[in-house]
Amino acid sequence: MSLIDFTPFISLAVFGLAVTPAGLLGEGKARRTIAPSISMIGLFLALGSAIWLGFSAAQTPGPGAIMSTDIFTYFFTGVLLVVAIFVGVASLSFMRGDPNEAPYFGLLILSTLGMIVLAASLDLILLYVGWELMSIPTYALTAFRKSDPNSNEAAMKFFVLSALSSALIVYAISLVFGISGSTNLIAIANTFGSITPDVRPFGVLAIVLFIVGFGVKMAVVPFHMWIPDAFEGAPTTIGALLAAGAKMAAFAAAFRVFIIAIGPFHVEWHSIFAIIAIVTMTLGNLAALMQKSFTRLLAYSSIAQAGYIMIAFATPNGQAIAGGLFHVLNYSILKTAAFIAATAVATRLSISNLDSFNGLAKRMPQTSINIAVLFLGLAGVPPLSGFFSKALLFAGAVNSSLPWGGYLAIAGLLNSGFSMGYYGWLIKRMYFDEPSDGSRIPEPRSYMAVLWAATALTIIIGLYPQPWIQLSQDAANALKVLGPQA
Amino acid sequence: MFGILTVAIFLPAAMGLPVYVLGRRNIRLARLLGVGTTAAELVVTLIILGVFSYGIGGFQLAEKVDWAISFGLTYHVALDGISLPLLLIATILSFLAAYGSTDLIKEREPEYYALFLLFETGIIGVFTSLDLILFYVFWEIVLVPMFFFVGIWGGPRKKYASMKFLIFTYTGSVIMLFGFLAVYAWTSSQGNPTFDYTELVGRVGGLALPLQLAASIATFVGFAVKLPIVPFHTWLPDAHVEAPAPVSVLLAGLLLKMGGYGLIRFNLLFFPAATNVLWPYFAAIGLVTMIYGASVAIVQRDLKRMIAMTSINHMGYVLLGAFTLNGIGLSGAVFQMFNHALAIGILFLMSGYIHEHAGTRNIDELTGLRGKMPLTVTLLVLGSMAAMAVPGLSNFISEYFVIQGALRASYFFAIAIVAPALTVGYFLWMLRRVVMTPGVGARNEISLHSLAILAAFLIPLFVLGAYPGPLLDSIIRATTNPLAPGGP
Repeated sequence: MSLIDFTPFISLAVFGLAVTPAGLLGEGKARRTIAPSISMIGLFLALGSAIWLGFSAAQTPGPGAIMSTDIFTYFFTGVLLVVAIFVGVASLSFMRGDPNEAPYFGLLILSTLGMIVLAASLDLILLYVGWELMSIPTYALTAFRKSDPNSNEAAMKFFVLSALSSALIVYAISLVFGISGSTNLIAIANTFGSITPDVRPFGVLAIVLFIVGFGVKMAVVPFHMWIPDAFEGAPTTIGALLAAGAKMAAFAAAFRVFIIAIGPFHVEWHSIFAIIAIVTMTLGNLAALMQKSFTRLLAYSSIAQAGYIMIAFATPNGQAIAGGLFHVLNYSILKTAAFIAATAVATRLSISNLDSFNGLAKRMPQTSINIAVLFLGLAGVPPLSGFFSKALLFAGAVNSSLPWGGYLAIAGLLNSGFSMGYYGWLIKRMYFDEPSDGSRIPEPRSYMAVLWAATALTIIIGLYPQPWIQLSQDAANALKVLGPQA
Repeated sequence: MFGILTVAIFLPAAMGLPVYVLGRRNIRLARLLGVGTTAAELVVTLIILGVFSYGIGGFQLAEKVDWAISFGLTYHVALDGISLPLLLIATILSFLAAYGSTDLIKEREPEYYALFLLFETGIIGVFTSLDLILFYVFWEIVLVPMFFFVGIWGGPRKKYASMKFLIFTYTGSVIMLFGFLAVYAWTSSQGNPTFDYTELVGRVGGLALPLQLAASIATFVGFAVKLPIVPFHTWLPDAHVEAPAPVSVLLAGLLLKMGGYGLIRFNLLFFPAATNVLWPYFAAIGLVTMIYGASVAIVQRDLKRMIAMTSINHMGYVLLGAFTLNGIGLSGAVFQMFNHALAIGILFLMSGYIHEHAGTRNIDELTGLRGKMPLTVTLLVLGSMAAMAVPGLSNFISEYFVIQGALRASYFFAIAIVAPALTVGYFLWMLRRVVMTPGVGARNEISLHSLAILAAFLIPLFVLGAYPGPLLDSIIRATTNPLAPGGP
C-alpha cells in the first residue's frame, strides 16, 4: 500500500482546499471561471485515478488497516464521484454569476471527500470523521440561498436531525469500543462473534443506535421525515448531492459496519432490516403517489429506492449484496440526473407544482425525453439499468436461507408495480397533456450534457450489464471477505 | 453465434432512429421507411420460413451468446412450431398495420413509426427468446410504445386508458418476474444458476410442488393480465376503444398473443407438476372468459368495443385449449392465436375506416351500409365470418380443435359450445343492423388501397382454411412432443 493508492482522496483534499481561495484570484471573467475549472479538474482527476486504481491496485487491506483500498472502496468512490461530477457540471450553469460560486464548489468537493472517506474507512473513528466531513458542508450548501426562507428552514431541519444522527453514531461507537476494546471493524467482528451474555444488551443497544444514526442519512422509514422538506428547500443541485451522494455514502458506511463488524453478532438484527425495507419501500411509493411537487415526488421515490437497497442488509448473501451495490450505482446515476432535470425545469417553471409538467414534451423536448427514460429506469423497466439491479437484488432475496427472503422479493416487485403509478403519471403529464403555454423553454447546455450522459449510461448498462454486475459482485466479495468467515 | 433471428429481432429497432431523424425532415420519408422496414421484416420472415425444417420437433435456428454470465443470463433465441406461426403473424400484422397507418395516422408520424418499429422488435423478441430474463426484457419493451400509442394517438379518453393499461400490465409483469426469479433462485441453490429455458425445462421437474405452484401461479397472473382473462380484462376494452385502429390491430392481434404464448411456453410446459394440479382451474377460467366475452359483446353499442370483447371471447379459447393438456387442444390454441390475429386485425382496421367514413362507430347509427359502401361491407361480412369461425376459414379448424381437446379432457367442458353460438349470434345481429338495413345517402366507398389492405388479412385465413398443411403440422409436432412424457 503506497500513497499512490490514495490519489482520489489526496486530489479531492488538495483541490477542495484550493478552490475557495482560488476564487479570489483574477478579475472579471477569469475570476468567474477559475474556481469551477479547478474543481472540475480535481473531480475528474479523482474519478480517473479511482477507476485506474480500482482496476490495477485494489487489494485486501491488512490487519489493523484503518483505511481500505479494496474494490469496494473504489466502487463507491467511483459512484460518488460520478454523482459529484454530475452535480458539478450542472452547477456550472446553476451557479453562474453567483458571488459565492467559489465557496460553493469548495464545499461540494470537501463534502464529496467526506463521502469517499466514509466508504473507505475500516475504523469507526475515521468513519466518524468522514461522516462529519460529509455532513457539515452539506448543511451550508442546503442553506446556500440564504435570503430564501425555504432554504433556511430546510437547512435547519436537516441540520438538527443530522446532528442528532451524528450524536447517536458517536454513542454507538463508544458502546462498541466499550464492548470490544477496539474501533477497528475487523477487530470488532472478532469480539462480537464471542460476546458474553453480560455485555450482550449493550451490543444490541449499539446496533439500534447505528441503525437510527445511519437510518437518518439513508432516509429509511421512520427516519425519513426530513428528506422531502430538505430536498424541496435546498438548491436543486444540492438536492441531487443529498439524495444520491450523501445517502449512498451512508449506505456505504452501513455496509461496512453491518456486514463486517456486526455480521457475527448472534442477535437477529436482519429481521429489523427486513421490516424497515418493506415499510420504507411501501411508504415511499404510496406517499410519492400523492405528491403535487416534483422535488417531493423525487424525495419519496428516493425513500422507496432506499427500501429496495435495504433488502441487501436483510438477506446479506453475496448475490443480494451485489444486487444492492449494483442498485446503488444505478440509483445514483438515475436520481442525480432526475434532480438535474428538475433544476433545468426550475429555470422557468415552478417545480413545486406538477401542473407545470403538463405538455412539457412540447416545451422542453430534450429534458422530457430524458426524464421519461430516467423514470422508466427508476421504475425498473428493462432494458434499462434499474431493472437488472433490482432483478439481481430480488433474486438474491429469494435465494436467501432466511425466511423473509421471498416476502421481501414479492414486496419489492409489487412496489415496482405501484411505482409505475407516479413514474408513468408524470410521463403522461409530459407527453399526453396539453401545456397551458406552448412556448419553447431554453435548455442550458450543461444540464443537457448531464442528462444525456446519465441516459446513455442507463441504456448502456442495461443493454450490456455483464461488466457492471461483475464489478458489483467483486465489490460485494471484497466487502464480505473482511467479514466473518464461516 | 448471431444469425438470421437476430436480424429479424433487431432490424426494426435499428431502423427506429433513422425513421425518426429523417422523418422529421420529410413526413413521406417516415412513412416510406416505416412501412418499408416492416415489409423487409416480412421478407426476412419468409426466408426463415424457407429454411425452417417442418418435419421435426424441437428448437431450430438457435443462437446462443453469453450476455451477463455473472447473473446466468444468455442471449438465446430459437424457433419451434409454437413460435413460428406467431413470428409469421407478427410480421404480417405489423406490415399490414403499418400500411394501414398511412391512411389513419395523421399527426406526429415520425415518432409514431419509430415507436412502431420498437414495438415490432419487442414482439418478435418475445416470440423467439429462450432466456427468461431476455424474454422479460422484450416483454417490457412492448409495453412502452403501446403506452405512448394509446396516450398520444388515442381517442377522447386516451389518458385514462393509457394509464390503466400501463399499471395493469406492468403490475402483472412484475408478478410474473417473481415466478422467474423463484425458479432462478432454486437453480442457484442447486449450483449452476441459469435463466436458460432449454436447460431449465429439464431441471424444473425437480422443483418441489409448493414452490412450483407458487411460481406457476405468479407467471399465470402476468400472462393472464395480457391475455386477458376475466377478471383482469378491464384494461382491454378501454385501451382498444381509445387506441387508433392500426394500434388496436397490434393490441388485439399481437399483444394479447404474448399472454397466450407465455402461458403455453413458460407456464404449461414449464411447471409440469403444478400444471397437473392447476389445469382444471385454468381451463375453467378460460371457459368463463370465453362465455363472458361473448355475452358482454352482445350488448355493446360501439362497433369497436364489440370487437374488443370478441377478443376476450376468442382468447378464452387459447387458455382453455392450452390447459386441456392434450396435443389437439394445445395445437388448437396455438393455431387459434394465429387465426384470431388475422380475423381481429381486419375487423379493427375496418372499424377505423368505417369510423372515418361514416363518422360514427355506434352500431345503431350505422345503418344501410350495404348501399353506401358495398365493397367494404362485403369484407366486413367475410371478416365477421372469420370471427364466427365459419367452416372454410381456418378459424373453424382451430376452434374445433380447442373444443375437441376440451371434450377429451372432460365432458364438463361441453359447455364451451355455448361460446361459438353466442359469437355467431352477436355478429349476425350486428350485421343485420349495420348491413341489412335500408339506408339513405350517397355511395361513399373507402379507398381501393385500403380495401386491398383489408383483403390481405383474409387471404391467409382462406388459404389455411382449405389447406392448413405444413403450418398446422409443425404446430402439432411441437405441441405433442413436449406433452408426451407427463401428459394425461
